[in-house]
Amino acid sequence: MMWLAWRQHRKQALFAAVGLAVLAALVIPTGISMRNAFTDSGLAACLRGLGTTEFLRGDGCDSLSDMFSGRYETLATLSMLFVFLPLLVGLFWGAPLVARELEHGTHRLVWTQGVSRMHWAGVKLGLVLAVTVVAAAGYALMVSWWLGPLNQAGQSRMAELSFDVQGIAPVAYTLFAVALGVFAGTVWRRVMPAMAAALVGFLALRLVVLVQLRGNFLPAHERTFPVIGQERPNPTLGDWTFSTGIKNAAGEVMSTGEQIQCGPAVAGRPDTICAPYGPGAYNFELYQPAGNYWPLQFIEAGLFTAVAAVLLFLAVRQIRSRIA
Amino acid sequence: MNLALEAHSLGKRYKRNWALRDCSLQVPAGRVAALVGPNGAGKSTLLNLAVGLLRPTEGTLHVLGRRPDGDRDLLDRVGFVAQDTPLYPDFTVSELITMGARLNRRWDTPLARDRMEQIGIPLDRRVEGLSGGQRAQVALTLALAKRPELLLLDEPVASLDPLARREFMQVLMGSVADGDTTVLLSSHLLGDLERVCDYLIVLQTAHVQLLGGVDELVNEHKALTGPRRQRADVAGVAAVIRESHTDKQTTLLVRTNGPILDPAWTVHDVTLEDLVLAYLAYPAPGRAVLGVAK
Repeated sequence: MMWLAWRQHRKQALFAAVGLAVLAALVIPTGISMRNAFTDSGLAACLRGLGTTEFLRGDGCDSLSDMFSGRYETLATLSMLFVFLPLLVGLFWGAPLVARELEHGTHRLVWTQGVSRMHWAGVKLGLVLAVTVVAAAGYALMVSWWLGPLNQAGQSRMAELSFDVQGIAPVAYTLFAVALGVFAGTVWRRVMPAMAAALVGFLALRLVVLVQLRGNFLPAHERTFPVIGQERPNPTLGDWTFSTGIKNAAGEVMSTGEQIQCGPAVAGRPDTICAPYGPGAYNFELYQPAGNYWPLQFIEAGLFTAVAAVLLFLAVRQIRSRIA
Repeated sequence: MNLALEAHSLGKRYKRNWALRDCSLQVPAGRVAALVGPNGAGKSTLLNLAVGLLRPTEGTLHVLGRRPDGDRDLLDRVGFVAQDTPLYPDFTVSELITMGARLNRRWDTPLARDRMEQIGIPLDRRVEGLSGGQRAQVALTLALAKRPELLLLDEPVASLDPLARREFMQVLMGSVADGDTTVLLSSHLLGDLERVCDYLIVLQTAHVQLLGGVDELVNEHKALTGPRRQRADVAGVAAVIRESHTDKQTTLLVRTNGPILDPAWTVHDVTLEDLVLAYLAYPAPGRAVLGVAK
C-alpha cells in the first residue's frame, strides 16, 4: 500500500521538494544580506540600546529602521504572499486525494484489491499529511528566520499576515487546508467542485479567525500617553496594536484611528492640531503585547489543527460507509 | 449444491429509489452466469453489493459463504472488473501488475505478465495510451491474477467495438475453462453473453425476472402457434409469458410443466434471446422466480 501511495503522490512530493528548494534559494541569500545590512547599518546595536523601554523621547531608532524597512519593503510585502501557500497545498494535494479516485472510478479498482478501505485511507492520508507537515514546517521555519530582522525593525510579527506566515500557525493552516480538501472531495466526489469548496471554506474560516477572533483570544492591553507631551510608545516593541484613538480628560473618545502629539511649547495655542482636544487629553491604543506571540500562535494552531482533525474524521467516515 | 453467491430478499435503496428490491437468487459454484437486464435494472448494484463496495439496505447476501463487508479475507478470493474498467491512467501496465502484487496476498505475477504478452500489450505502455479493448483486457488480467474463486464483471464489453467484444469474451472463456472459477458477468445485451454463459439471471426494474441454468430454461419454455383464439388452458402449460395475435394465428411463449399434446398447437423450441425478451416484457415485476435449476 505504501508503494501505491508513493507511486500516486510522488509527483506532488517532488513539487513540494522543488518548491521548498526554490523558496530556500530565494530566502537564504536575501536573508543573509538582510541580516548583514541589519548589523552593518547600526540598527541592530541601536535597537539593543533601546531595549524594551515602553516609551521613547526623541527619534529612537526610527530613521535607521525606516531606512532599513524602506530598503526591504518590497520583499516584506512579497513575503505576505506566502500566506496563500497552505491554500495551494489544500487545493492541489487535499482536494484530489479522494475526489480524483471517485471521479475516475478507480476507487472501485483499488478498494476491491486485498486491502481494506480503512487501510487504504490510513496509508494515503498518513503519507500526505506527513509530507504536508514536513513541507509546511520547512516553509514556516524559513520564513520565520527570514523575517527576523524586519520583525525587530518594527514590522511586528504579531501583525495581520505577518503572524500568519511565521511560527507554527502556517503548519496548522496547511493541515486544515488539506483536511478540508480531502473532506470536500468525499462529499462532492469530483475534483473541481472539491477544490472550489476547499477554497471558499479555507478563506472563510481564515478570515473570520483573523478579523473577528484572534484579537479576542487573549485580553487586550491598553496603553495611554498624553497629547501634550514628548513621550511616545516605543514602536519596536513588537506589539500588535489593533485600535488607536484619542480620549479627552473625561475619558470620552474624541476620535479613532489617529494619534497626535504636540510639544509642551505649543500647549494652549488655538491654532495647533492638538487644540480641539483640550488639556488632559490622551492617546490610547489597544494592543496585544509582543509576549503574547507564542500563546496566540498555540491557540490559533490548536484551533486549526482541531478543525482539521474533525474534518479528517468526517472524511474517513464518508470513505468507510457513504461511498461505493 | 455449492453456491458461489446467494441472496435472500436483498434490497438496496439510494435515498428514495430502490435500485434492487426483494432480490433472491443463487449462483451455483463453477457456473458462468450472465446477469442480463436493461440499463438501470440493478445489475451494477448487485455486483457492487457482491464485492462489498455497497452495503445492503435489507435482506442478506452471501458470497463464497461470507457476507461481503469489504474485509480482505473475502476480497482476496473475489476478482472484480468494475464498469468502464477503471485503471490509473498514468500507470504503466507493469506498474499496475506491481500494484496488484503489493495489495493482494494471493497474486500471480507471471500469469499477469504472460497474459499481457500473449495479447500483445507492452508492459511499459501507460494506460492512457491503450485502446478501450486493451484497457478492458488489462482490467481482466488484474482480476484474474488474483486467481479468484469468483470473478465478477460489470458490463465489461459495453464500451467495446464488436471485434474487441469477441476477443474479450474469447480470452475470458479461455481463462476460466478449468471450471474452478465461478463467473458472474453483466450486460444489457444478451448477445454478448449468450455463447459463453450456462446460467442466466434476468433483472428488470430492480427485480429478478428469470433465473436458472440456460439448458433447463430453454427446454422448459416453448413457443406455441395455432389458430387465433382467446387464451385457453392448455395441458402442460404452467404459465403464458407472452402472447401475440395476427388475424388468423395466435402465438404463445409458455413455460411448460409437462409435454404439450394438444393437437391444436404446434410446438417450437425457443431461443434464449426470445426467452429473455419475453421475460423483460413480462408485466409482473416481483413475480415469483421461475425455473430455478437444481
